[in-house]
This record gives sequence, structure tokens and C-alpha cells, in this order.
Amino acid sequence: MLKVKNIYKKYKQEEVLKGVDITVEKGDVVVVLGPSGSGKTTLLRCMNFLERADQGEMEFDTISIDMHKVSSKEIGKIRQKTAFVFQNYNLFQNKTALENVTTGLIVGRGIVKTKAVEIGMKALEKVGLADRASFYPSQLSGGQQQRVGIARAIAVEPDVILFDEPTSALDPELVGEVLAVIKQLAKEGKTMVIVTHEMKFAADVATNVVFMADGKIVEEGPPKEIFLRPKEERTKTFLRRILPQEEYNI
Amino acid sequence: MRPFSLQFLVDVFPILLPFLSATLAVVVGTIFFGSIAGGLLAWAKEGSYQLFQRLAQAYTYIIRCTPPIVLLFIVFYGLPKFCLEVLDTNINDYDKLFFVIISFTLLFAAPVSEVMRSAYEAIDHGQYEAAVSIGLSPWQAFFHIVLPQATVVALPNFGNSVISLMKDGSLAYTIGFIDLIGKGQLIVSMNYGAYAMETYLALALIYLMLTIGMEKLFLWIEQRFSRHKQAA
Amino acid sequence: MEINYKFLIDTFYIVLAAVPTTLKLTIIPLLAAAPFAFTIALIRLQKGKSLWKVPVSAYVTFVRGTPIVLQILMIYSLLPSLLNALMKAWSFDINVFDWDPIFYAYIVFTLNIIALLSEVLRSAFGSVEKGQLEAAECAGLTKVQAYVHILLPQAMVVAMPNLCNLTVNLIKGTSLAFLMTVKDMTAVAKVSASYGYNYIEAYLDVFVGYIIICSIAQVLFHFAEAHMGRYRLSKQK
Repeated sequence: MLKVKNIYKKYKQEEVLKGVDITVEKGDVVVVLGPSGSGKTTLLRCMNFLERADQGEMEFDTISIDMHKVSSKEIGKIRQKTAFVFQNYNLFQNKTALENVTTGLIVGRGIVKTKAVEIGMKALEKVGLADRASFYPSQLSGGQQQRVGIARAIAVEPDVILFDEPTSALDPELVGEVLAVIKQLAKEGKTMVIVTHEMKFAADVATNVVFMADGKIVEEGPPKEIFLRPKEERTKTFLRRILPQEEYNI
Repeated sequence: MRPFSLQFLVDVFPILLPFLSATLAVVVGTIFFGSIAGGLLAWAKEGSYQLFQRLAQAYTYIIRCTPPIVLLFIVFYGLPKFCLEVLDTNINDYDKLFFVIISFTLLFAAPVSEVMRSAYEAIDHGQYEAAVSIGLSPWQAFFHIVLPQATVVALPNFGNSVISLMKDGSLAYTIGFIDLIGKGQLIVSMNYGAYAMETYLALALIYLMLTIGMEKLFLWIEQRFSRHKQAA
Repeated sequence: MEINYKFLIDTFYIVLAAVPTTLKLTIIPLLAAAPFAFTIALIRLQKGKSLWKVPVSAYVTFVRGTPIVLQILMIYSLLPSLLNALMKAWSFDINVFDWDPIFYAYIVFTLNIIALLSEVLRSAFGSVEKGQLEAAECAGLTKVQAYVHILLPQAMVVAMPNLCNLTVNLIKGTSLAFLMTVKDMTAVAKVSASYGYNYIEAYLDVFVGYIIICSIAQVLFHFAEAHMGRYRLSKQK
């Protein structure tokens, strides 16, 4: 359904992405792992054109796009089919939780307000925050804000939701509530690409794990393969360093 | 020396107050045109055209160094000449309000562009990204998400600029515009300089009320607009 | 548009000759106002109630809330006759109307700057960490010593950008001294212009003159700020 080929991205002198391919089929939950600075977030941002790749092609259903020379019209088309969940939530500070969810529907898609409110309330219910609909972001905890962020993303019924480290800005005790919501979405068969550091969670929800380092994909495959029988030395070192901490969670 | 006449101070208020409308006309007209011009300047500064950026910065710098009265004189004497000789239009008979508003628009645009620019920069870029990520167009993201938040940030400084403008606007009398101060000067000269102190004090009190009122007004607007900032 | 270039250049030299007046009108009030402004800032920063707070605040509010042109008109209409009356009452044989009008200009701008400068200092002192005063007092400095040696130097660095604004605004404000018949840049240009109705050329000269003076002032402040803020720069690394 969504295919990205051969992405390159450079910031000033530093090459962040050096030819990355990624394929997402309908119903897939692709989890992208890797040490910080490996280019995971940049990859995700390029896929939603929040960053412009220097090179690369994208195929989304029947549309194919040159990711460098993409027009703003094409960007608009892709964004109508995707949604993004940000590391630091990025809730609209001047809008209530419900308005955060409905703005994309009313302004972006021209859905009438009553219908949009109905969809918005359903989305908030799904993340367990229907009772906070009229709260402003400043009145919500980090975990609640991120759940509203997820509600905002699912309300526009995207074909793919992109998650950029959705729990890494949260206090440890708030991580669980957000991961639970994402797990629920995975169960419902939503197509998602998730950048995360939560290994246990990754092992639980992923249909496919991608391990990145230094702007390249080192290894990919089903979670069991990657976690239990990693082939590449790079992957092994990374998992060895990360997993001992995770034992407490298992 | 003649003693201070409280009676005159009281009597002069009703004579001066009708000219408040002229003073406010300058302020309101300048806020309108100056905000548009300031918005364009801010847009140029934030935009990606280097030439526009440099021009806008240079303009702001020059205005920062220009005394209001000098600009007022240049516009008042220079603009009609320019229009007559270059555009072949005679604007000598235009209302003085016209020249006053043009001068102060040129003046007001510069600080306001800075207020707008810094307010725009104060809004986290993530707000814009979040808006486009759920399918808003860049323009929709700007108008529905970034602009309303930037407006709230800009309000206190915008209010200060307006108060400065109102005070600078009092110079309009120097080209013969009859506003509050212009009328006050007429009263003083009609009395051959007598009762000058009373007249000026009355004017000072009116201006004090205007500036304090304006401060309160902006504070009130700011509070109304920043409901979303209150903590849980 | 027809510009009289000869006049433009000739007048520029006349305007330049008046630059010292503009500089005097800037520097003298700034220096004269400093001790008063400092005192007012300290009074307003004091905790608790003080008899002085009310009149001092009223004064600052009045100056900030009224146009400077009105302050000029008020003082220039009041002060000479007031002084004259005083001289007569004390039977001094001095004619205050013979005094150079620049004297009144100094007074007007000083009174104005006292209020504005006190606000700049107040916010600067307010921004210096409270611990600095406590630490200085613990080290055995008196309150005054603490202010002079520890707080003032730090507050001045914070105040520099605002001081620069204040100075630039004062330089621009001195353009109104012609209302008191002081022969500053604006006044001499106005006089030259009136002979042949060459107002545009004359005011363009003044315009350039102010840009030059304000630019120099800003450059000086920039250097001063960089010099005074040394201790901050090393911290940022």
C-alpha cells in the first residue's frame, strides 16, 4: 500500500538517511528501532513531508511521487491519507481536546461541524478521554495530551498513522496508558508505522520490525526473528545494551 | 505670577474633548493601515526571499532611527511635491489627516512588524506541523492554528506600540492638524499664552486617561483571548 | 522629483554643525537623571509600604502616560515665569528670560528620563537573582555596598538593550527641542529651509543626521554590552 524507496536526506554536511526502503502493507504495524541519531525520526518526517528528502520515491496506492520534487498539491494528497503522532504531542494550544480532534475534519476536510463533533467524540471515547473533551491542553497530563494526539490522528481515518516516539516525552508512569491505546488500535487492524524505544511493546504489537543504524536499515523481519535471532552484529549489540533494562518489564 | 485657575481647568475640558475624535482618528487609521504594512514587513522578514528580508530589515532599522517629527515633515512637505512632479497629481489640498496617517503608518509599521515577527517565532513550529499532518493546507494551518496563538503572544507588545503611537500622534499639531493638542494650542494662543498651564494640564490628564485606558483594554483583551493558558 | 542638490549638501554641513547640541541634549539629561532614577527604582523595589512610593509611582505614571511634546509645552510655559517670580521674590537681579533655552531643554529631558530610566533600572534589578543580595550580605557587605558592587554591575548588563532603546528614543526626542527655540539639528534645518521653501532637502539632511547618530549610539551600546557581559559569555560555553 505504501512503499518508500531509496530515501536520502542530508542536514548541512551530515547524511542522516542513506538510501532507506520501507514497505507497509494494509494492516501492518511496522516498528522502527535503532539507536538515537540513526535517522528513524527523520525517515518518519520525510514520509509525511515535514522534512523534504533530497532523493527518494514514494508509492501510495496508485500515486507515485518523487519525494524531492514533490508538489504541494501532492503533499496535500498524501497528508489526507496519513496522520502523524508527535513525540511532544503538539496539541493545538488554543483549542480544547475536542476541537483539537475536529479541526482536521472541519477545516481540512470540510465536514460539517455536527458530524465532526460526533466523529471527534467517538475518537476521544476510544482513547478514554470523552470526559475531557472541553479541556485545554494545558489542563491535561502528558499522557492525556498524547492520547488526544492519537484521537486527533485516528479521527481523520487515515490509511496509515505515523508515530514518532509517542511515549519518550512522558513520565514513566504515564507511558502505559498511551501504549495501551496504541495496542488497541493494532488489535483493530490499523496500519501504523511506529518509531519507539519501548522494546517490550515493540515485540507485542509489531508485525514487522525494522532496525536502523547510521541512516541505513540494518535488518528487518518479524519481531521474533529480530529479537530472538538477530543476524547482524549491529543489531545484537543494540539489543544487548537495551534489553537488560527491559527485563524488569517482562 | 498669576495663580493657577482651577475653574479654567474645569471649563476647558468640554472645549477640548470634541477633538478627541481627531486624535483617535489618527490612532485608529494608523493601527489599521500600519498593521497591514507591518504584517507585510513581518512576512518579508520571515519569508525566504533574501532581498525582501534585507529590505524589510533595513526599513525597520531606518525607522527606528527616525524622529517621528522629521518623518512627519518629510511626508507633509515631500509627498505633495512628489505627487505633483512625478505622478502629476495635486494632493496639496488633501486633508491634513491624510498626511498624518501616512506618516504614522510608515512609522508604526516598523515596530509592529517586529512585534508580529517575534510573536510568530514564539509559536512552536510543531503546531504548524501538527496542523498540516492532519490534512490542513499550509494557509489553513497558518490562519486556524498559528495566527490565533501568535495574536495572543503579540497583544501586550502591540498594546505598547499603540500607546507609543498615541503619544507620538500628538505631534500632528505641528503641521496644523487640529486634534486635542492642536485645539489646546489654539486655546493658548487665543488667550495670548495665559492659562497655558491649565490647558496643558487638562490635555495631560486626558492623555493619561487615554493611555491608562488603553493599557487596561489590552490587558482585558489578552485575558479574554488566553483562556486556554489557565492551568488545570 | 526635483531636488536642489547644492542646497542639500550645504544644509547638511549646517545640520552637522548642530550635532553637538543634539549630543549635549542627550548626554547631559542621561547623566543628570541617573542618580534620581536609581533612587526611584530602589524606592519602588522596596518591600512593604513606603510614604515615597505613591508620589514616585504617580510621577512615573504621569511621564509615561503623556506625550513628551506635552511635557515640553507644560514646562516651557511654566518654568520661566515661575523662576522669574522666584527671582523677583528673592530680589535677585537676574533676568531668566535671557537664559539660553537649552537650559530648559535639559530640565525637560532630565525630568522625562528620570521616570523612564527608573523603569529600566527597576526591571533590571528585579531580574537579578535574589540570592546575589543575600550572598553579598552574608559576605559582610552592607546593603548599599551590595547594590553598588554586586547588583548594579549585573543589572546593568540586563539593562543594556533597554538603555540602548531609551537612548535612541531620547536622541529622537531631542528633535522636539526646537519647540523651546533650541538650535538643534531639526531647528537649524527648519530655519535654512524656510528661506527658499526647501523643506524636503532640509529634512532629508536631518533624517540622515539622526540615522548616523542613532547608529553610532547603537554600535557603542553593542560594544558596551559585549564588554560588560563577558562573564555571561563564558558561562554559555
